Formats: sequence, structure tokens, C-alpha cells
Amino acid sequence: MSDASRFAQLCLPHLDSAYNLARWLTRDTQDAQDVVQDACVRALKYVGSLQGDDGRAWFLTIVRNAFYDWLARNRPAEVVHDDNDTVEAAADLVTPGPEQVAVRNAELRVLGDALAALPAQYREILVLRELEELSYKQIASIVDVPIGTVMSRLARARDMLQRSPVLYAIGGQTARSAP
Amino acid sequence: MKCSDATMLIGAYADGEADRRLTRSVRQHLAACPRCAAKHDELAALRARIRTEVPRYVASSSLRASVLASIDAARRADPARVRISDRWRWLTGGALAGCAATMLAWFVGTTVIAYQENHDIAVEAVTSHVRATLGNHLIQVASSNQHTVKPWLSARLDYSPPVQDMEKEGFTLLGGRIDYLDQRAVATLVYRIRDHTIDVFVCPRAVRMPPSPMRTIRGINVAHASGAQMDWLAVSDVSSDVLGSFVQSLARGGATQ
Repeated sequence: MSDASRFAQLCLPHLDSAYNLARWLTRDTQDAQDVVQDACVRALKYVGSLQGDDGRAWFLTIVRNAFYDWLARNRPAEVVHDDNDTVEAAADLVTPGPEQVAVRNAELRVLGDALAALPAQYREILVLRELEELSYKQIASIVDVPIGTVMSRLARARDMLQRSPVLYAIGGQTARSAP
Repeated sequence: MKCSDATMLIGAYADGEADRRLTRSVRQHLAACPRCAAKHDELAALRARIRTEVPRYVASSSLRASVLASIDAARRADPARVRISDRWRWLTGGALAGCAATMLAWFVGTTVIAYQENHDIAVEAVTSHVRATLGNHLIQVASSNQHTVKPWLSARLDYSPPVQDMEKEGFTLLGGRIDYLDQRAVATLVYRIRDHTIDVFVCPRAVRMPPSPMRTIRGINVAHASGAQMDWLAVSDVSSDVLGSFVQSLARGGATQ
């Protein structure tokens, strides 16, 4: 089978997953499309070396790598090195500033805003678990960390989401739905 | 179990990622500790909110088109030329006997793989699901009404598949189509939960079914359950716990119809 056919068979069915991940990471429609296109070019090139048949986890790994490369090129200030200590430290420092709250989109609801305001390391883990419904094992291979780290990071991400200042800044769901 | 240990394990428990032993000890702890029980409820509420309020974005048709175009370009650039040159290098480099042995191994290997692939109903179901999704012919009869979908399917098959309304459980019926499994036409129901599409193949028990109730093939989950007369095979990229309980409740409901 040619690489193009392999890609069509193993990766193309997961294009929506790829776009969803890229869209939440870049927080922008056009940037997400660029990241996915870059990821497809890489996937076409390397699909020959794909072992096993989990095309979804493999493709999402490439999308994630393409995103971090894009981030380093376009927003180097936001790059956080992915060892646990710095991630934890950075997470404590990052509170959503006005520019992050401004990322808010009219059609997005409050909880989506709070998710968009989380640091990328926590956003990606929530998107992979809650929206893509991947197993801890798949997430561990995509993010390239041990399963224990997936568990602790997920717990922390959920905690941060629940206590997100964005939820309180806008008044939360109950206050907003009141007339 | 201490509360400090429970905090992290509650997440794994709620995600269906705890093994049997861990599940039991988390359950015992939750029954005994109101503070951790409240944390668990809070987590369940948060997950429910994420799933209803946070959008799952889908690729636009223009992005899909441009990806398809790059596949086409790669197909044109790729063809057999590279492979032939590889093979010539191999032929001149390797001994003839080695080459013959490799050919034999390759022949046996591919035959076995082809045999397994062809005879694996779960692989066939995933292939049908992917083909239908890509080719945009997922649904031939579009209706959320089971009383419209069922007669449409029955009229085109030699059996009458049970079609169930699963809206209460959160699964919306989108419609159905006729697809092929194990060289026969079978009823295929299409449901949606959140933004994931689920194909459910419903067929009389004569069709060979996979031995294991849950498998993952190319990142897509396949869940199987049997009722009195029918088999249900559900295929989707939704998580395996959701898909497994869905197909089992279909099989239970279908048995009583």
C-alpha cells in the first residue's frame, strides 16, 4: 500500500479529531487549519513508519507536535518546557489576562471560555479526555508522559477549570441565564 | 484509603480507568467519606457540563478538500517507481536464496494477514464505517423516528431489525442505511452522542460475530452484544465505556421487543 493510501485509511477518518485538538490549542480557526495542514504533510511523509493500527493516537501526536512547533515560530513567549516542575510552576503564575479572555468568541459558552484560558498543557489533556474521549493510555502516548502524570495533570486541569477566574468574572452559568 | 490518595483516584474511577480492585476501594471510601463523595459529585457535574457546553469543533469542508488534494498529489508523486528501485537494490545486494526465502515468507505472511483481515468481522465493520463516513453516504433514510426507519430497512432486507429510541440515554437516532457485513446486506442504524457518530450493525445471529465484546481497530472502537435473535455491533470513536454500555442496552431492549 502506498503511503498516500495508508494515510487515507489510517489518518483521514480522524480529521475532525485533529482539527478539534488544533482548534482548542491555537484558539483560532485559521491557525488551527494551518497546524492541521502541516500535520497532514508530516503524517503523509512518515505514515510508512507507523507501527500498530492506532492511527488516531499517532495522528494526534503529530498534530500536537505541529502545534508546539507552530507556537515556537509564532508565539515563542508562550512556550513552556514540558517537564513537570516548570509546568506546575507556570500554571500557578498564569491567570488569564485580558488578551486571553478576549479570545472569547460570541458563540462559545462560559465553560468553553474557561477551558480556552487554561495553559496549553492542561487544555490539551482535557480536550483529549473529555471531547475526544481517549483512554489514559492513548493520552499518555500522545503527550509522551507516563500514565501517572496523565492522572495527576488531568486532576489538576479539572480543578483549575472548576476554579477558573473566567467563570467568576462573567458571573457563572446561573447568573448569566437570569434575565 | 486516605483522602489525599483518593483525590487523584476519584478521577480515574470516574473516567472508568480504575481496575476492579481500585474501583472497589474507591467505592468503599466514597461510601464512608462525605467530603470525597462531594468531590466525586462535583467532578461528575463538571464532566456533564463540559460535554454539554463545550463545543467539539469539526474540520471545515475546505480543509477536508485541501487535505484530500494533498493526498492526491502524494499519490501522483509516489507511484511504484521508488519501490521498484528499492527492489532492484535488494535483488543485486542479496543472495538469490535469501531473496527466495523472503518472497516465500512474504507470500505466506500476506496470505495469512489477508485471511485474518477478510475473516475479521470487526475489521470489516470499521472499514464499512470509515467508507460511509468518508463517502458521505452514512445515511440513506434520515429520520429520528424509529417507526420511519424500521419499515424502510425491513422493506430492503429479509429480516426486520429492532430500531430503538435511545434519546433518553442521550443517543439521537439520525437514520439508517443498508450496508454489507460478511457478504450479506445488514441493517445499519446511525446514532449520535455529543459530536460522535455511531454506526450500529443489527443482524440475525447467523452472521459470525467477534469473540471479544470490545476492540479498538485503527483508533476506532467496536463493541458487540447479543440478544435473543439478533447481534448488535457498534462502531464509533466515542469512548469504549460509553459504546459498550450503549450496545448492551440496545441488545437488552431489542430482546424484549
